[in-house]
Amino acid sequence: MATLQSFTDWIADYAGVVRDQADYLTDLDRAIGDADHGANMARGMGKVALLTEQEEFTAIDAYLKKVGMSLVSNVGGASGPLYGTFFLRMAGAFTGVEEAGVTEVAAGLRAGVEGILARGKAEVGDKTMYDAWAPALEAFDSAVGSGSDLAAALAAAAEAAAKGRDETEGLVARKGRASYLGERSRGHIDPGATSSTMLLESAARTLA
Amino acid sequence: MIGIVVVSHSRALAEAAVLLASEMTDPDNRPVIKVAAGLDDQTFGTDAAAVSEAIAAADGGDGVLVLLDLGSAVLSAEMALEFLDPEVAQRVRLSSAPLVEGLVGAAVAAGAGADLATAADEAEQGLVAKTQHLGTGTPAGGPRPDGPGEGAGPLSDADGGDGASAPGASGAGSASAQDGSDGESLTAQLVVSAPHGLHARPAARFVREVGAHPQVRVAVRNLDRGGGAVDARSLTGIATLDARQGHRLEVTATGPGAAVLLEELARLAGTGFGDLEPPAGPARTAQRAGAPTVSPARGPARGRAAAQGPAPGDAGSSTGPTFGLDAAVGRVVRADGRVSLDSYHAGDAVHELAALDRAVQQAREELAELVTRTSEQLGADEAAVFDAHLAMLDDPALQDPVRDGIRSGQSAPEAVTTRTAELRQQFEGLSDPYQRERGADVTSVGDRVLHALSGGGEVRREAPGILVVQELDPATAVLLDLRETLGVITVGGGATGHGVLLARARGVPVMTGAAAVRDVGDGTLVAFDARSGRLVVDPDLEVRGEFEALLADRASARRRMLEAANDPAVTLDGTRVLVKANVASVDDAGLAAGCGAEGSGLVRTEALFGDWETAPSVAEQVRAFERIAEELSGAMITIRTWDVGGDKPLPFHPQPVEANPFLGRRGLRAFRDDPSLLVDQLEAVCRVAREQRVRVMFPMVTTVEEVDWALARLDEAAGRLPEERPDALEVGIMIEVPAAALRPESLSALLDFVSIGTNDLTQYTLAAERGSPTVAELADVADPAVLRLIHETVTGVAEGVDVCLCGDAASDPDLALLLVGLGVSELSATAASVPAVKDALRRVTLTDLQDLAARALRADSAADVRELARRVGSSQSAS
Repeated sequence: MATLQSFTDWIADYAGVVRDQADYLTDLDRAIGDADHGANMARGMGKVALLTEQEEFTAIDAYLKKVGMSLVSNVGGASGPLYGTFFLRMAGAFTGVEEAGVTEVAAGLRAGVEGILARGKAEVGDKTMYDAWAPALEAFDSAVGSGSDLAAALAAAAEAAAKGRDETEGLVARKGRASYLGERSRGHIDPGATSSTMLLESAARTLA
Repeated sequence: MIGIVVVSHSRALAEAAVLLASEMTDPDNRPVIKVAAGLDDQTFGTDAAAVSEAIAAADGGDGVLVLLDLGSAVLSAEMALEFLDPEVAQRVRLSSAPLVEGLVGAAVAAGAGADLATAADEAEQGLVAKTQHLGTGTPAGGPRPDGPGEGAGPLSDADGGDGASAPGASGAGSASAQDGSDGESLTAQLVVSAPHGLHARPAARFVREVGAHPQVRVAVRNLDRGGGAVDARSLTGIATLDARQGHRLEVTATGPGAAVLLEELARLAGTGFGDLEPPAGPARTAQRAGAPTVSPARGPARGRAAAQGPAPGDAGSSTGPTFGLDAAVGRVVRADGRVSLDSYHAGDAVHELAALDRAVQQAREELAELVTRTSEQLGADEAAVFDAHLAMLDDPALQDPVRDGIRSGQSAPEAVTTRTAELRQQFEGLSDPYQRERGADVTSVGDRVLHALSGGGEVRREAPGILVVQELDPATAVLLDLRETLGVITVGGGATGHGVLLARARGVPVMTGAAAVRDVGDGTLVAFDARSGRLVVDPDLEVRGEFEALLADRASARRRMLEAANDPAVTLDGTRVLVKANVASVDDAGLAAGCGAEGSGLVRTEALFGDWETAPSVAEQVRAFERIAEELSGAMITIRTWDVGGDKPLPFHPQPVEANPFLGRRGLRAFRDDPSLLVDQLEAVCRVAREQRVRVMFPMVTTVEEVDWALARLDEAAGRLPEERPDALEVGIMIEVPAAALRPESLSALLDFVSIGTNDLTQYTLAAERGSPTVAELADVADPAVLRLIHETVTGVAEGVDVCLCGDAASDPDLALLLVGLGVSELSATAASVPAVKDALRRVTLTDLQDLAARALRADSAADVRELARRVGSSQSAS
């Protein structure tokens, strides 16, 4: 069961990962974008990580909502509204939930990914973060369907996201800054899919 | 007054833009302009919360126009709307105008008291003005005619293949030097040189080319039709341009790489967007002329093997169980788009979108497979249909609304169904018949996706059945699985549509125009006999028994016929009738030989080279004709010169659009202005005639003057050979115009033979278009009026002139008997029907047939004639 503590652990873990991997993410973005993804994410998550020091949270949904708003205002690039929307929508799914089991997390992830989809209007194959999220969500659901617990489902989701992330390498970008490059965007992993995979990997480590 | 908000990644950029706009507005009437840009003074980025605050601050109650730069600015602004009080949000407009130009335009308009919509329009105009200015100003533009008259010179040479007036090579080169900026916008004018306009294939090609440059936005207008610009990424959009040959398109491209794309489009325009492309020709030579006798994939009778091999109907036979029987009893398999989605469980939007993605991918793979199979079996031309389906599948005009529908709560099947119905309506509202037919393609693509959504694998039938379709298109006809298809019933459609002819040629029983099965469900038992036209839905035991007996009789008769297929057809009283086959390819010729055809009474050259993009050379034609003659073991072949027009377009000899093409410049008429293609072909014929037994015949001849002209062209061609025109070359004409049938003597005075084309003769005599289902019943070759014209021809030709017949009537054994009774001395039928026609002839006396003909000429109706012929035919075969 994931408690408020699990969620704050998740965010703290992810903030650490992003900080450590900021240069890597920026390098990925340099190849096909504007070389700011790592810096943006590190800045945004840095602010988010401070939330628990500035304020006392008592509910998962309120916390996640704050995470979302903080990302919206502090990331800067397209990831701001995208991750922001993810957490804001996810927050909505946890209203009144104190301990999230596999069902609640499934609903939360789904709401969040729908938010990303609505915001970014991306499709599978556009070489965006959705290429990691779509298979992740499917893997999560199918793990749940076959009786897995939260830990196993999250692990499966993270694994599927990583596979989706790797597959963006062969794709031509059709959304975002990278789409300006057309064919030249092929051969590079999408930074957004990479940071999304990291978020799921963090979840697998902390939420269950 | 409305308020304005500027959203940008850079605060400095936004503030400078506001200063620039402010300079142009009256200080006393300046709208409120708020900035939400950058995370701070130095850090690039956008913040949805800040945008929402800026909007709230700029809102004075009259609405707010938001101008944005790129990427996250758009996402943040959209998100900001969600943060706002809905009442405020509904009076906020996000502008797609370019930031600086849009801001200036909007600020000026707002200062002048414009409302939100007007200011938003004004902002958008900022781009249009620049586009137009640079479009006319680019070196690529060249002379831009303002009207058709003035532009007639450079634009009217579309036939020459140089359809693009702009940009020229140098123009494009210098334009690409400015490449790389986001807002670059260039305009070029292209002329549609594709013979049938921007129909499916060239349109798909156009869209594909544009799609290869995802960063360039391209809008196209048809200058000759008027109307607004459409998104060039959308096949539907392109289709709605209704662009015919000769129409001028204005193409506006914006974004990095615009010049390169325009250059590429201009090059494509020169090839008719692939319709006039040269490299396809030689490749096809290798495939067609060089192919082995009969490719296994091609079909049913397998030529010689069929004559000696296992009897049709035997398990393991490569032919269908009802091969050549013209009748079938079986369960209905509907293939007219009814996909059962009863068991479909819709999920939420994410699930539905994922399901759609999978279904689209499956459809894509199926179509790719179809393209491959069809081009192998039928040729690139037929495969182009599925290429167009592929383009349509990925058309944003199809997929985007489907996705939007799903996001707004529809299930994937609902969204697909809704959108395909809308699109089909759009297509069917177009004026060009080619484009209207694309409506059916949309439905087909939609059904394919629905089928995939329903969890179905590739459309396959589990058990042998009777396929029920609305109409039978050629591609379906050629792909019918012979072991699983007992027969085909078309609900609409005539009996002489190309798909029907193809399926019959493959031995599949086909019943056409059977409205009775319109609402018959999957799995219903149906029995039909195409020869008598009898169709019974849900037959009782007795009727089933009758049909089983009929099938058994025909199967044994068929076996007997096949065994004797290579024997000549001699009537009981000793008259030999030559039975030849109509062929459209080298493969056909191999099949014909296997079925016992004694040569070919009709080589359809326009079909033989119908999928070539450029005219075959003399040598290529010689080679193809020789191959056909060789397949037929040196028996006489009758080469019909290019028969274009009507329903038979030839890519390398485009015809102007005529209101009534069947009464227009078709057949021989199409070469009167420029006979060069015809003379080349005649030269090939003369060359082949030196080694092979060859006849040549001219289609669609009406007057004696035309015969003289055609003979003069033949002499002209023969004059190119070192020696004289080969003596053995026999020359004739088709009799397919009633006028020709009425004056056979003067027409045939200088000829060796005439050949009656019953399909056209029938449609012209009865004024009933052969392909039209609405008058299909009228267009019956058995109509006594048609028979009288045949009688006129047979009795009227000059002394010593052979009267042959190469229409579809020759493929119906009963009618073939009647035609021989009328005095026709040679028949040319579909290969598959040759054994049956020969068999029928062997069981009658010529006297019987002459008697039949005399009665048929006096009959009142086609139905009466068919009944008379059936009695003679079946009474003999029963004996």
